[in-house]
Amino acid sequence: MAVSDDDLAHLLRRTEFVVRPSRLAELKLLDLTTYDAVVDNVLNTGLNGTPALPAYFQSEDPVSNWDQYVAACSFWVNNMLNTARPFQEKMTLFWHGHFVSAWWDVGKGFHLMQQIQTYRENALGNFHTLTQKMAIDRAMLVYLSNAENVKGSPNQNFARELMELFTLGVGNYAESDVEASARAWTGYNADWPAYVYQFYPGRHDAGLKTFFGTTKAWTGPQIIDEILLDNASKKLIAARYITKKLWEFLAHPSPPPGVLDALAPAFAADMNLHNLVRSILVRPEFYSTTAKQGLVRTPIEYIVALCYYAGLTPENLGVSWRAESTGQQMYQPPNVSGWRPNAYWLNTSAVAGRADFARSATWQLRDNGGFDNLYVMTAANAVDYVANFFGIYPLSTTTRTALINARSAEPNKWWAATNLLTMTMLAPEFHMA
Amino acid sequence: MLDPDISTAEARRLLSRPDALGDVLGPRGWTRRKFLQAVGGGVLGGAALNSLGPGQFGLGHLGFDLHEAFAATPIGGHDGIVVNIVLYGGNDGLNTVVPYTNGKYYDSRGPGHGNLAIPADQVLPLDGTFGLHPSLGYTKRLWDAGQLAIVHGVGYPNPDLSHFTSMAIWMNARFGSGPASTGWVGRWLDGQPAATADLMAATIGSSVPLHLIGAVRRAVAVPENGDGMFGTGTDPAEVRMFTGLRSFSASPAGRGPWHDMFASVLKTQLDLATDVSPVYSPAPTGDGFVKKMTVAARLINANLGFRVLDLGLDGFDTHDGQPLNHADLLTQLDTGLATFFSTLDAAFYSRVTVVTMSEFGRTPFSNDSSGTDHGTANVQFVMGPNIKGGHYGQPSSFNTIVDQWDRFDMTTDFRHVLGTVIDGWMGGDASTILNGQYENLGFFLTGPGDPPPSGGIPPLITPPSSPTEFVSMNPRRLFDTRDGTGGRLGPLGPGESWPFTIRGQHGVPTGAIAVALNLTAVDASGPTYVTAWPGGQPRPTTSNLNPVPGMAVPNLAIIRLGNAGDVNFFNNSGTVNLLADVVGYFQDGTSVGMAPLAPARLIDTREGRGALGPGEMLDLQVAGRGGVSTSPEAVALNVTVTGPTAGSFLTVWPSGEPRPFASSVNMVPGQTVPNMVLTRVGANGMVSIYNNSGSTDVVVDVLGCFDADAAGRYVALSPRRVLDTRDGLGAPLAQVGQTPLEVTLLGRGGVPTSGVSGVMLNVTAVTPTRDTYVTVYPGGGDRPTASNLNVSVGQVIPNMVLARIGPEGTVLMYNNGGVVDLVADVVGYFTD
Repeated sequence: MAVSDDDLAHLLRRTEFVVRPSRLAELKLLDLTTYDAVVDNVLNTGLNGTPALPAYFQSEDPVSNWDQYVAACSFWVNNMLNTARPFQEKMTLFWHGHFVSAWWDVGKGFHLMQQIQTYRENALGNFHTLTQKMAIDRAMLVYLSNAENVKGSPNQNFARELMELFTLGVGNYAESDVEASARAWTGYNADWPAYVYQFYPGRHDAGLKTFFGTTKAWTGPQIIDEILLDNASKKLIAARYITKKLWEFLAHPSPPPGVLDALAPAFAADMNLHNLVRSILVRPEFYSTTAKQGLVRTPIEYIVALCYYAGLTPENLGVSWRAESTGQQMYQPPNVSGWRPNAYWLNTSAVAGRADFARSATWQLRDNGGFDNLYVMTAANAVDYVANFFGIYPLSTTTRTALINARSAEPNKWWAATNLLTMTMLAPEFHMA
Repeated sequence: MLDPDISTAEARRLLSRPDALGDVLGPRGWTRRKFLQAVGGGVLGGAALNSLGPGQFGLGHLGFDLHEAFAATPIGGHDGIVVNIVLYGGNDGLNTVVPYTNGKYYDSRGPGHGNLAIPADQVLPLDGTFGLHPSLGYTKRLWDAGQLAIVHGVGYPNPDLSHFTSMAIWMNARFGSGPASTGWVGRWLDGQPAATADLMAATIGSSVPLHLIGAVRRAVAVPENGDGMFGTGTDPAEVRMFTGLRSFSASPAGRGPWHDMFASVLKTQLDLATDVSPVYSPAPTGDGFVKKMTVAARLINANLGFRVLDLGLDGFDTHDGQPLNHADLLTQLDTGLATFFSTLDAAFYSRVTVVTMSEFGRTPFSNDSSGTDHGTANVQFVMGPNIKGGHYGQPSSFNTIVDQWDRFDMTTDFRHVLGTVIDGWMGGDASTILNGQYENLGFFLTGPGDPPPSGGIPPLITPPSSPTEFVSMNPRRLFDTRDGTGGRLGPLGPGESWPFTIRGQHGVPTGAIAVALNLTAVDASGPTYVTAWPGGQPRPTTSNLNPVPGMAVPNLAIIRLGNAGDVNFFNNSGTVNLLADVVGYFQDGTSVGMAPLAPARLIDTREGRGALGPGEMLDLQVAGRGGVSTSPEAVALNVTVTGPTAGSFLTVWPSGEPRPFASSVNMVPGQTVPNMVLTRVGANGMVSIYNNSGSTDVVVDVLGCFDADAAGRYVALSPRRVLDTRDGLGAPLAQVGQTPLEVTLLGRGGVPTSGVSGVMLNVTAVTPTRDTYVTVYPGGGDRPTASNLNVSVGQVIPNMVLARIGPEGTVLMYNNGGVVDLVADVVGYFTD
């Protein structure tokens, strides 16, 4: 079995957003008899040296929350575009959709930026460590109300989502476990007004609680230890839950039978995310046709691709204010369960939002005589030229025919070129991950 | 953490299981919608992908279906329309329909339990048992008109406390167990004719929730902001491009199901844009939900074939800060309902039913974060002219509610409610759709299209006006009940409401939307209050004047005009004479804008100039001072007289013009009286101030500037109370001392959450413990040397205040001495 060019392009699209020709060339120099070498290359995020958070995001509001938000959108998209191993940013995006907090709900954007930075630093680290960090992250303390969870009046918000969405999935715990966990997390609050995590012994309910059948004076961190380290059956459930979610994020929804059985036990044993992701990316099923055709580009991935191929910046495209209409706002998941794949993005309003981006990019590409060279090409050559420009290879016959017919049907050469650009950015090929 | 797309989340999770409906994915007979569903994850999702595999889709025979017509088809005269409103996050039913005479309600939520209970004297009573939340004024009108059915104790067996699971159960709405892979509206759509089903159901928003997804069909998503929506362009070259884009779905591309689905959705968007683009003109205004309700009503009016319109209102997961947040949400709901019915064409009244749903109620006990946690049984509203109003189902009992985590037992399965709606209004086979027998709750009086027995839509609380410009007038006397000017001679009696038509008369043109009156009460026989409000609307719980015997109390009233161009005046008790001068009006237009200013003092005659003597006139420079532009059209001033030696009045008018017969401030000896004055500015940049008799000191502060270059426009609202420290509305239940009280105005009383520079408030100071003054200024700013209200011990003094909003959406109210209660009513706002 040799790794094909098609496999390499698929691997790069899923891990690095787009297929950079330079990266493709680098990977082709490696040992292509197995997936090991190319996957290790993609996972070598150590090369990046974690991008530092600009000072702008390290303290309270130097200008306004909105100005920070605009800068934050650009900062992240630029990282996705420019780091040596963009997979770190892709995984950061995964964690943002997993341990959700949201910019406008948290209120202080720089708290969220610091949470995202924690994802960046732990993107491929240890899941247990990351979960413990999230439990006392100040954006999370506000978003899921643990900042207000005190003895005598436990707030279940975090305790519930910790099990339902972050580790186990619904059905793998009882309501009494949520109540016990909520009590265990009392007192893990934030000071005021800085909202730095602090443990207040006086607000902590140190009484006995029964969690997963064990009665003792549970603390908050012990709850996470129980789920992810100490309780053998629960940690296997958690490992399957995370393995499935990562598979669905990287490969396609509904993992093939056997994949979870094969991968989850090792992850349960070490909670090592690097090892888990590596085991996913070297599976032959990851390179199946089902996988290659199995995911739609999310709006953020579409925006990154637009910026990359069209040579535009997030500011040029107005990502901060325009992305909402695609259904995905950066730093603002719609709810605590994060984003979903595929059909979630494919409805009329969200597709119209993508079209608005394509139209905006078109006008910018056409400035100053851009693509006037299309005027002298045959319709077929112009279509192939533009498809190549946007990294689409090859176009499907259906799309290519539609583009050639549209180009031929347009009598005005300026409009023929302009509409070809927009249409190519709206070709289904450009929206597949 | 609120979840407009909660259904999708659940759909995805449940898609990993086989569909218990046993939908047959035969190799033949695919429709385009069926294809979309099969590949879209909406129905079978990943399971279908895996079981069939991309190579086995056999897409060749789908080509003809992809050309399926997408045509708007008007609905029949007896086709019912359902407007489904999802209150995402779990609405607190207990504070929506309040059991205000039940002591156990106050035990679980009273002082010591978060103080979330709505006081009995604030609910809008329905009967001796239940009252609506005070934010539901229009909903109360529906009840009064017999058009609101309240179903109590609604839920399902073995309630689940997860947002996701519970919402999926509601959206799925099937009896029996099994995965929630389709929704009740979607399964109804499945049974509709293929030729028209594409445009029969829409959600207003950007994603299609589970209840609108069927086994073979799904609703379309129509955005609330359609301005420039992709696909509506009419340039011939653009239209040719749209044709080209449609042909991406001419045949399956062989690149897997998602590729083809993208192409298909793109085509649907282009078809949809062609059909719905007219509903965005003129652009709908208001908060998100109000805008959605406007679009929903216009979609119905356009008669494109829609029979189900779905809308979401977000934010009901009130784990903390519930009192203000919940009031805001219910205000949005109520305003949205009023907007919907006022936008709806009368031809459709008898065909519309509005239903609310939410994934669960909330805990009867409050938590310690001034909030409530996920609960169980809830109330559900069904509204419309053909509804038989009243209570349905059995209210949940408090008998089982003892401690913090106790939750209500359900008494009515929500599927009974939906079954009644499906069979009674939508026309469908509810038992099949719901997979079981439901109990008909009987809340429909007649079928769709039949004349509504209750006689049509109740009078409306008008939605916010369009943005307007101010036109100042030379003050002109409208009426004086002491001498019969304006057609009425004699004081207003106790409890009397008196309508007075203004628009099209007295120099106020037919296009006027609101008027500014200087309203003065004299000869009160005892303490009372006077309310002015738009004609044709229910009297609000607000006030404009608080007359007492022996005082002449003036106040500026900015009143929205009713549909007939009239306003109402109400006197609560005793008798009182009223006189009014019109000083300007607001109309559609953009030539003159408004900039609210932080208050700034322009003159204090006690410092230097000295008092105005009898018949004396003062010219005051306003242009270029205190933030006023160099060429203002008009200004908003707060004019205070202090230490008058005789009963007298001040007149304020544009310098250089003849003095009008009108009063701006009335006074009696020794009394300090403030009043807000709207006046045009003379060509010389000055206003003139005249004192009729005796002598008095005058203090003038500037509050706002009307100018051609200013951006702000005035939006008139129906008056709404937003602050009352006597009962904890909008602020803690406590008198105000010398610590400024911060009051949030954005998002309250009909004021939107953004795009607001200032709010027009009527502020009343109630019985201070010593003589004092009150200054209202932008939140976060320094307190200026200025005052809005001067009030003596034991008095009740109102004054209109143009309050500029601070960056956090608040104003500060400072009381100079002693303690005082403060009350504020919002009547409109200025855009920024």
